[in-house]
Amino acid sequence: MKGYCGKILKVDLTKSKPSVQTFDEKHARKFLGGQGFAVEIVYHGVPKGADPLGPDNVLAIAGGLFDGYPVPTGGKVAFAAKSPATNTLAESIMGGSIGPELKHAGYDALEVTGKSGSPVYIFIEDDRVEINDAADLWGKDTRVTPETLKKRHGWDVKVACIGVAGEKLSKIACIDCDDRQSGRAGLGAVMGSKNLKAIVVRGTKDLVPADPKKLLEIALRYQKIYEAAPSFIEDTKYGTGEFLGWVNKEKGVFPTRNWQESVFKEREKIDPYYWAPRYVTKNKACFSCTKPCGKLFEVKTGKFAGVAIDGIEYETLYSLGGQCGNADVESVAKANELCDLLGMDTISAGVTVGFAMELMQRGIITEKEVGFPLTFDNASDAVPKMIEMMGNRSGFGDVLADGVKVAAKRIGKGSERYAIHTKGLEPPAYDVRGMKGHGLAYMTSTRGACHLRAGFYAPELVGKFWKWEGIDRFSTANKGYMVSQTENFMCVYDSVGLCKFSRGFFLIAKLPEVIEAITGMTYTEDELLKIGERVHNMKGAFNVREGVTRKDWLLPPRILEEPIVDGPSKGSKISVEEMNLMLDDYMKARGWKSDGTPTPEKMAELGID
Amino acid sequence: MTKMLVPYPENCTGCRFCEMACTIYHEGKVNHAAARLQVHRRNVKLDFPSVCTHCVSCAEDCCVDACPTGAIKKVEGRVVVDQDECTACGTCVEVCPFGVMRMEDKAYNCDLCGGDPTCVKFCPTKAIVYEEPKPEQYEKVKKLLEVEG
Repeated sequence: MKGYCGKILKVDLTKSKPSVQTFDEKHARKFLGGQGFAVEIVYHGVPKGADPLGPDNVLAIAGGLFDGYPVPTGGKVAFAAKSPATNTLAESIMGGSIGPELKHAGYDALEVTGKSGSPVYIFIEDDRVEINDAADLWGKDTRVTPETLKKRHGWDVKVACIGVAGEKLSKIACIDCDDRQSGRAGLGAVMGSKNLKAIVVRGTKDLVPADPKKLLEIALRYQKIYEAAPSFIEDTKYGTGEFLGWVNKEKGVFPTRNWQESVFKEREKIDPYYWAPRYVTKNKACFSCTKPCGKLFEVKTGKFAGVAIDGIEYETLYSLGGQCGNADVESVAKANELCDLLGMDTISAGVTVGFAMELMQRGIITEKEVGFPLTFDNASDAVPKMIEMMGNRSGFGDVLADGVKVAAKRIGKGSERYAIHTKGLEPPAYDVRGMKGHGLAYMTSTRGACHLRAGFYAPELVGKFWKWEGIDRFSTANKGYMVSQTENFMCVYDSVGLCKFSRGFFLIAKLPEVIEAITGMTYTEDELLKIGERVHNMKGAFNVREGVTRKDWLLPPRILEEPIVDGPSKGSKISVEEMNLMLDDYMKARGWKSDGTPTPEKMAELGID
Repeated sequence: MTKMLVPYPENCTGCRFCEMACTIYHEGKVNHAAARLQVHRRNVKLDFPSVCTHCVSCAEDCCVDACPTGAIKKVEGRVVVDQDECTACGTCVEVCPFGVMRMEDKAYNCDLCGGDPTCVKFCPTKAIVYEEPKPEQYEKVKKLLEVEG
């Protein structure tokens, strides 16, 4: 079996015992790699009803099929577990180099089970696997931790770790590697619950593709395509926030002040067209990415002097910016850095701060309780301050440290109405009242409100994608089918490990050529999409098994009841009827029961046991 | 003057495509440790490539002088390891200030891909350029390499 290592490393932290499981071509053809492998491990490994923060939960890490090979933008790694935020099977994909490094060590995936009695880190160097004491690292941030480990084991090791938020079991805690994050759905808390501070890897083995010459030819071809692509040229200059102005002003779907508005009037102050020339000192890239959208953002003077981050991403410009009414880009950068260092997802953390700000605006919480004015007007100071308190669980930060759903439950007093989430996950930066198919995708996403499980913002904002043209973002027509198809598309993407920003150039039909050059195995586009469908169905079936069904998918009241108040999407909302219509269409397109259960026939058709 | 690889640390994004392209081109496999150049990803602020300078910037201590068997020679301005004379003693690996003299069965180093370097072809940000040697750029990398802690 070429291109694969054919091995999964299993580490049981309760028994302090590593073991290796092999797999064959049949397994590879069924799940491809990356997300496919990780989802399979969690689906079969986590017992029904397992506590996400208990020893029975399984953390899976798998580099995509392209990981380690020279495929431009093909270096993504999948983390997966049962999420403490949503109780569903959640994956979070990042660009950190731990995926490729694991492959060089000889493993297509790593499975971590059990729970250590005291803080530890896993050290992997090819066949040598150790569980080492991490007492000295506990309490350390996501920069000091890898730095300490690199001084100990050598600069070339790759480190994935959690910060204090993960240690303190925050349900919005992330996992960090190379200043990139597996941010969503609280997977950092899963590591924390296992007393696992870090995973350190050095791989020295060869990765041998089936056809190296062909692979190099493909790489150069896509390198040239990317170099000439206008969207990539803009992304390289301004990062992922490049289209902020367009989403905000032309489309009017940039959620602002906890979704009370959909146009951020002070947008220019946080727009990368403003800050890139002033603050960006260097471009940054994920492993094997030849179109660097990462930016080294440095603040050199003023009260936030010293901030240096890989950012600010589009999503964070929303969550720590517009969502909190924060028009001070240096404050956004500071809050971003605090999230990174403490190990919290910037989307969930920012949405939660904005939520609390609205509660103070409405008098549901008071300045006395919080300790300072947590208001939209005071955002520049208030956002970084509250983020720090949340990460450390200090003061009122403890109330907010687990995201909006848990916070609303703790606060009560009708605050639930202002908690914007689906399945317990805070939404990303698209006001779905003005993009209805994307609203459906927030509901159907197996890990809760997400822009990347279907990536449906792009088709609706641009109006075309893949096999469709003339897509109307205000219409519900055909959205059930389209979202189910794009979800399958994205499952394939996350399984080969390609960056989703490449999806306009690298359609599924173009992947078989690359897969064949690496593995020698041949696939058709339909076969790949079938794998995507299989992976999505496994997540769907897992969630139903855990009691999460259609009743838990629904959109929050604000989206269903309060139309957008201003801008190009003014007056638009998703009505309850529209929501149900789209969900019915979706279930039909999936061949699922109306409550979201994959039917036995569908499971049999996809070969899921 | 002969063209050489010139590193521009300020342009490096840390993607490591050059390392992969190097070993795929030469050996038909990926192995970063075997690559004839190295990308160092130290922290959020610091990514940089270290390339073989063919000793245009080495006054002493360089591999040619250090090799006890005389297996490393300067041929038309390039550092070349005579595979028959190399005893794999590892001295050159130890003295190379850029950490890019490699060793498997015998020592080997960058061959500039016969005049069309693969790493340069794949570098998207001009962090490695094939041009007239620039000693000041080599010095920059040397300084960065000295900061180990």
